Amino acid sequence: MAQQGNVGELLSMLDSPVLGVLEDITTAFKDNLICDRGPMLVNNLVDYYLETNSQQALHILSTLQEPHDKHLLDKINDYMGKAATRLPTLSLLGHVIRRQPSWKHKLSQAPLLLSLLKCLKTDTDVVVLTTGVLVLITMLPMIPQSGKQYLHDFFGIFGRLSAWCLQNPGHVAEIYLVHLHASVYSLFHRLYGMYPCNFVSFLRSHYSMKENLETFEEVVKPMMEHVRIHPELVTGSKDHELDPRRWKRLETHDVVIECAKISLDPAEASYEDGYYSVSRKLCTSIKHHQTDPSASSYIDTQSSYGTSTPYSTPRLTLSQMPGQLPQILSPQSMRLSTEPQQVTIWSPSAVCGMTTPPTSPGVVPSESSQSAPQPYSKAFGTSAGGKGTPLGTPATSPPPPCTSDDFVHVSLPSAAATPPKKEDKPDSVRPLLYRQQNVTNSDKSLDIPSSKSSVTLSDLPEFLGGLSFEDSAEKDREEDAISKEISEITTDAEHMVPRGGFDSPFYRTNESLSGSQKKTHSAASSVQGHSQTSEPLTSLDKSGPEGARETPKQTFTPIDKPCGGPGESPAGNREGTSGEPSILTPSPCKVPAQRRVVFGSGQPPLYEHLFEVALPKTAYLFVGKKTEELLKKAKGTQDEDCMSSTSPVEVLDRLIQQGADAHTKELNKLSLPSKSADWTHFGGSPPSDEIHTLRNQLLLLHNQLLYERFKRQQHALRNRRLLRKVIKATALEEHNAAMKDQLKLQEKEIQALKLSLQKEQARYHQFQEEHDNIVAQLHSQIRQLQHDREEFYNQSQELQTKLEDCRNMITDLRLELKKANNKVCHTELLLSQVSQKLSNSESVQQQMEFLNRQLLVLGEVNELYLEQLQHKHTDTTKEVEMLHAAYRKELEKAKLCVQQQSQRLDASQKRIAELESQLAKKDHLFLEQKKYLEDVKIQARGQLQAVESRYKAQKKITQAFELEILDLFGRLEKSSLLKKLEDDKTEAAEAAEERLDCGNEDTAGHSEEAMGRNGETKPPSTRGSSSSKGGSSSELSTPEKPQNQRLSSRWETSVLLEPSTTVPLTVGSLPSSKSFLGMKARELFRNKSESQCDEEGVTINRLADALKTELCKDPSMESKVPPSPENLSPKLQESSVGQLHIMDYNETHHDHS
Amino acid sequence: MADDSQRNFRSVYYEKVGFRGVEEKKSLEILLKDDRLDIEKLCTFSQRFPLPSMYRILVWKVLLGIIPPHHESHALVMKYRKEQYWDIHHALRVIRFINDSTPQVDVFLRIHQLESGKLPRNVAFPLEPEDEVFLAIAKAMEEMVEDPIECYWLVSCFVNQLNSKHKDSLQQLPKMLEQYLNIEDNRLLMHLKTCAAMSKLPYDLWFKKCFAGCLPESSLQRVWDKVISGSCKILVFVAVEILLTFKMKIIALNSAEKITQFLENIPQDNTDAIVSKAVDLWRTHCGTPAHSV
Repeated sequence: MAQQGNVGELLSMLDSPVLGVLEDITTAFKDNLICDRGPMLVNNLVDYYLETNSQQALHILSTLQEPHDKHLLDKINDYMGKAATRLPTLSLLGHVIRRQPSWKHKLSQAPLLLSLLKCLKTDTDVVVLTTGVLVLITMLPMIPQSGKQYLHDFFGIFGRLSAWCLQNPGHVAEIYLVHLHASVYSLFHRLYGMYPCNFVSFLRSHYSMKENLETFEEVVKPMMEHVRIHPELVTGSKDHELDPRRWKRLETHDVVIECAKISLDPAEASYEDGYYSVSRKLCTSIKHHQTDPSASSYIDTQSSYGTSTPYSTPRLTLSQMPGQLPQILSPQSMRLSTEPQQVTIWSPSAVCGMTTPPTSPGVVPSESSQSAPQPYSKAFGTSAGGKGTPLGTPATSPPPPCTSDDFVHVSLPSAAATPPKKEDKPDSVRPLLYRQQNVTNSDKSLDIPSSKSSVTLSDLPEFLGGLSFEDSAEKDREEDAISKEISEITTDAEHMVPRGGFDSPFYRTNESLSGSQKKTHSAASSVQGHSQTSEPLTSLDKSGPEGARETPKQTFTPIDKPCGGPGESPAGNREGTSGEPSILTPSPCKVPAQRRVVFGSGQPPLYEHLFEVALPKTAYLFVGKKTEELLKKAKGTQDEDCMSSTSPVEVLDRLIQQGADAHTKELNKLSLPSKSADWTHFGGSPPSDEIHTLRNQLLLLHNQLLYERFKRQQHALRNRRLLRKVIKATALEEHNAAMKDQLKLQEKEIQALKLSLQKEQARYHQFQEEHDNIVAQLHSQIRQLQHDREEFYNQSQELQTKLEDCRNMITDLRLELKKANNKVCHTELLLSQVSQKLSNSESVQQQMEFLNRQLLVLGEVNELYLEQLQHKHTDTTKEVEMLHAAYRKELEKAKLCVQQQSQRLDASQKRIAELESQLAKKDHLFLEQKKYLEDVKIQARGQLQAVESRYKAQKKITQAFELEILDLFGRLEKSSLLKKLEDDKTEAAEAAEERLDCGNEDTAGHSEEAMGRNGETKPPSTRGSSSSKGGSSSELSTPEKPQNQRLSSRWETSVLLEPSTTVPLTVGSLPSSKSFLGMKARELFRNKSESQCDEEGVTINRLADALKTELCKDPSMESKVPPSPENLSPKLQESSVGQLHIMDYNETHHDHS
Repeated sequence: MADDSQRNFRSVYYEKVGFRGVEEKKSLEILLKDDRLDIEKLCTFSQRFPLPSMYRILVWKVLLGIIPPHHESHALVMKYRKEQYWDIHHALRVIRFINDSTPQVDVFLRIHQLESGKLPRNVAFPLEPEDEVFLAIAKAMEEMVEDPIECYWLVSCFVNQLNSKHKDSLQQLPKMLEQYLNIEDNRLLMHLKTCAAMSKLPYDLWFKKCFAGCLPESSLQRVWDKVISGSCKILVFVAVEILLTFKMKIIALNSAEKITQFLENIPQDNTDAIVSKAVDLWRTHCGTPAHSV
């Protein structure tokens, strides 16, 4: 609470008149705001502002920082809902928004926007609507992409308000409607500029409906006349223009300029891009005219100052030279020209809004000076007379009245004559553009402006756009008496005509007022003219704004100025003038006063408007504002005091506000005079009962002003940027110029070099020629010499050939000589040979002769012998025959003999062959036989082998048998021996008897008997031995008895089994000799017979043992066995000791087994 | 050779293509037609080809020298052989080594003993190891040959041949077995060595008895073909092949006793295949005997 109280106190102190306290309070608030994040303070501030409308509170609110924005917006939103507080809330919102707070992007999300839109859609209060629309328009460029979701709301609002403008459902004052219309117009521009496709499609759909058609025709269509075709309509699309990327690059002021670019309305448009339209130009010109009346008074004062200024003089001099003037005025020329000049010329116009006094003097004189030629030219142009040359005019300028009169007079006809010219105008304007740059002859330059001016006058109705509309509306608003219809209709022809008329009389009035006034007025008019002349010189775009700018400043300044004292005077002047023109002007003086009043009332918005329009123009000026201001300050006019503290715009703002506050009061120091003067002056019958209306109006105006200021700020932002670009461009240009200079220098150098080159070439040519000459001479010499040389050469050749010939001849001769010598030698040789032959032939002849003689002799001898032979031939033949016969016989015989021999030989040979074959056969046979034999042998061997094996087997069999037999014998003997041991010797006889008895009974028995007998014989010896040895052995042998008996019994059975095979063993009889056994037996028996009886048994026993061992050892020993007993027997006979040994062994063996 | 004309001219190609033994019978018949049989050729033939069963006994008898190469003397010699057999038989009966109830194999053994002079003194005398071998072979041979006399002679001659001709080489066979097993399957050999089973393998059964009692007769006679024809190496390969065939089982067994036990009683089912493989193995390692025809 304490805090709240504290806040309350602070709030109350907020509007303290003491500056120090004020500052402290504001800082305290700001500190509080920084510290406190709560909504309370902000709410309080808002409340306080709404209560008191405190500027300080507004200031604090509009500079709120981030964390408080939400509270502020919420609070505003709250108040927005209430109809009572809606208007101040809106204005607060407008203030806040125009500050462009850092949180402006949050606006699109804030509920405030929705409520604002809702308000705009539903509210019926025009003031609120207008304010709201302006706020919305201000807000739109700040939230271009986020606002798109409300696009249809915007369009809807536009549709509603445009319809409102026409239908006026609330039946509010027309004046409000005018404001509303203006704001709707701005909205139209903004929407069209930002969302052309969407907006156009909205327009298409919305105004295709019949009920809206009228609205379109009346309201929207005129608006559309003031916009170009938006390029986006061609290249873009609905979606594309809503694309956030499109907006990302653009700042708020960029968006504003974008919107201004597409406008054809000079009030709205920006001329950056250099396109220009006739309508715009015309509009501006019209405005000038409109402003003229008010300006006139001002200009007067200005002129009075201006003349005194030192700057004006050079300007004058310059301007008085029409040939130079265009150049000076043209921006190009200015750029190129020196700075001071620029300043002097342009500072007034540029800064006129700020510092009127210094500017006006500069302008006025120049224009006044210009005005002089202009009328002339006009006069010439219309009358087609060539009275005064432009050069002459400056001189004549001092006496302006007459000229002005003339001009006025002429101007009327020209105005009348305009209609036909108007048609030419578009064409003529174009050529102007080209001409202007190099216009040196004043005729043309003058002609054209004049025509233009006339055109503007006449065409005003046709070309007037929204502004004129506005103007008219304002006028209407002022005129309560005049009905709506009139106010609306006045826009066009009706309205224009009087205006044109009004203008022209106004000129005259001014002129008639005083020399100075006239001058200024003419200057004012000439300003237009001059501006138009300057247009051609510079560019059409600029001329319009220039003029427009100049005028508002002129008009504006008076508002400030008159405050001192002469405030009334202009009014009076005007009144006076108004009265005068009515007299003077013939045609348009129907509503002279009223019109003027209209103008006067309409002036303030117009001023502002024009002023705002002028601002972008300043950006185009080359010289920066600051320099201008400095210059102005240097001039040191009285007004500077007022100006330096606050900008005129703010001053105006404040003035208007204060004026509103002190509306009911009497005229006070500053603003009141003008305002009151205006009303009192213009209205004549000011509606005192409608103070409320006026107040609202004022509010609206203020809003409008604020909106325009916001726009200006945007433009200023942009201007700074563009200025930077311009500076850069100039730097580059300078750089280019420097480069060009360099280029020129270099070209010069090149030329110099070329010259020297040419010289050198000439010299070179000379030398060349000389050289050629010498060379030619030398060549000729050489040729001659060569010729000589050739001649000599030919001669020597000839001589050489001759020499050669001679040599050849010599050689030929030598050859011949040699040949001759050879021949000689040869002939000599031949000669010697021939002589030899000769001698030889001689000797041969001799021999031949000798031989011939011999031959003869021999022939004779032969004849002789022949004779002798014929005598002896008969005796020898018989003998020879005989011999022959004998030989023949002998030969036959021999032949026969040979035949026989050969036959014999053949026969014998045959025989031999036969025998040989026989032999071979025999051999073969023999071999075969051998083979066969071999075969047989092998066969036999095989058989033999088989047989042998069989034999061997037999042998084995017999061996086995023998073995068996011997075994059996051995056993038998043992058994019998044991028996004998048992029996006494007495029994021996019985045994012998038995043996004898049954000797032939049984072979086995016999054998047994024999054995027994043998045993009988043997026992004594054995016994002897045993006895000799000891009786123990006998005792030992007794146990063997049963075994022996068993063996014997077995033997018997075996014998019984094979009686046939075994040879019967008879006692005394020898076994068959064919078997080994038999042999053995025989031997045995022989031994027995031979040896003693005692020994027999021993030997047998021994033999059996030996056999046993031998059989066991090796079968191969078998053959040796038979003799062994024989060998053994003698041995045994010889020594009984060995036998005994054997016996012992046997016994011991038995013991062991 | 005149014989060649009688042979099928395709025989050469049969052999090339791999149909072994297509013309064997015929060529054997041709060989057997010769008077004075060429023992060398018969040997080679027997080594190269399996003998047709109808001629096997004849060829064996010829190769073992039971009958001479001349056809003429065959009857005579066989007569002698028969007589000899019966003589010994009789003698054995006489000395009561055998009687009617004596099994044929024992009869053969006694006869052989008698013939070789090794007849024990007593019937009850314990049998020598060589007698065991004889008995085993005789048992196997008895299955192959019907005539007891022929059988005896074959057994007797076969044993004699083993004892005389192959005595030295038979002792080398265990070493060769190890060598070839190393070539064929090193892992198995290592397993056997680790089990110390190499020394305990049934060498007697394999090499002394020539697999008699180990293989069935149908397979056995193919092995004996080779042995009789003079190659006792085949025994090694048969042994190797047995080991390889039952490799998995042998590897599964760990103790030497078990291995030996198993090998002494190998399954009798696919012995033909074992023998065929063994013959192939033998061929690859020892090469094909020279073509004598």
